Amino acid sequence: MGEPRDEDLARRAAGGDDAAFAELVRRHAPRVRALCEATLGGPAEADDAAQETFLKAHRSLGRFDGRSAFATWLHRIAVNHCLDVLRAASRRRSESLDALLEADGAALGLALSEESPAKALEARDTAERLLARLNPEQRLALTLRETEGLSYEEIADAMSCSLDSVKARLRRARAELLEAARHFSDVRDV
Amino acid sequence: MKHEEVRTLLGEWVDGELGAAEAAAVSAHAASCADCGADAARLRRLGAVLFRAAAPADPRATEAFVARVMGRVEADAVSPWERFAGRWLAPGFALALAGLVAAVWLPSADRFDLPLDAQLVADGRGALPSYEGVFEVAP
Ligand SMILES: [Zn+2]
Repeated sequence: MGEPRDEDLARRAAGGDDAAFAELVRRHAPRVRALCEATLGGPAEADDAAQETFLKAHRSLGRFDGRSAFATWLHRIAVNHCLDVLRAASRRRSESLDALLEADGAALGLALSEESPAKALEARDTAERLLARLNPEQRLALTLRETEGLSYEEIADAMSCSLDSVKARLRRARAELLEAARHFSDVRDV
Repeated sequence: MKHEEVRTLLGEWVDGELGAAEAAAVSAHAASCADCGADAARLRRLGAVLFRAAAPADPRATEAFVARVMGRVEADAVSPWERFAGRWLAPGFALALAGLVAAVWLPSADRFDLPLDAQLVADGRGALPSYEGVFEVAP
């Protein structure tokens, strides 16, 4: 017997079985929440986004055809929702935030050039401002690569885009960040 | 491989996404070019520097999250009446009620605006009245 498969739970949930849907939420909440938090930064925003992801999934259960794994299908909904949130945020962002703060670039440059094992920047505002410089697609591709370790093919699948788009998005995201870091480390090296 | 070409491939190399021949060429260049070697090292640190590792999921926090989602699922889209009808009314009673609602409500309605189901009910030609049709036309 064992545990019911996700796909069976999804079929039951589509038929109105709320307990089956609750079990799906229980199983997949940690990954969905982690993705939302890595993409959106703040825990409150991440919680909202994760809830919205599951609500959208619940409304679309009738369209889940079982051709892909439930986890893959749900992940795609989460990715799309995070993209929507990032796009809305980038439309709201003021011009002033586009100017990179010198201190942010310097902090990144230092963290990238140290010899000790890499660890996350203590100042989350700094990481957030740096990531906010990327466009939503670039930022999400980088997040999927760096936090979930997805292959390029898996990222293309999750973002419904081509392999070339994945390569281009990652390349631009990283070039932008290294550029921000380099500017200040070069100045310091002189 | 030229320096400029290697620069565009460093990320794919670090990610292990290059084929064997390209990977070998990039690797050889990065070993002898200080700039490319240093950028590859920066790229390898980038993820860990910008993203915090996710905290392990706390089962209690997960349960609280499940409860929040299920609370919203319950409230979402389904009207209380629809839920009541779906869960508690015996199917036969639901059909009878639908017929009654249709009979009382439909004569005054503009029938051309009604969904097909409701028109069939009103015309008495439908095999079985569909209570979904009635709910759709109800205000
Ligand atoms: Zn080089």
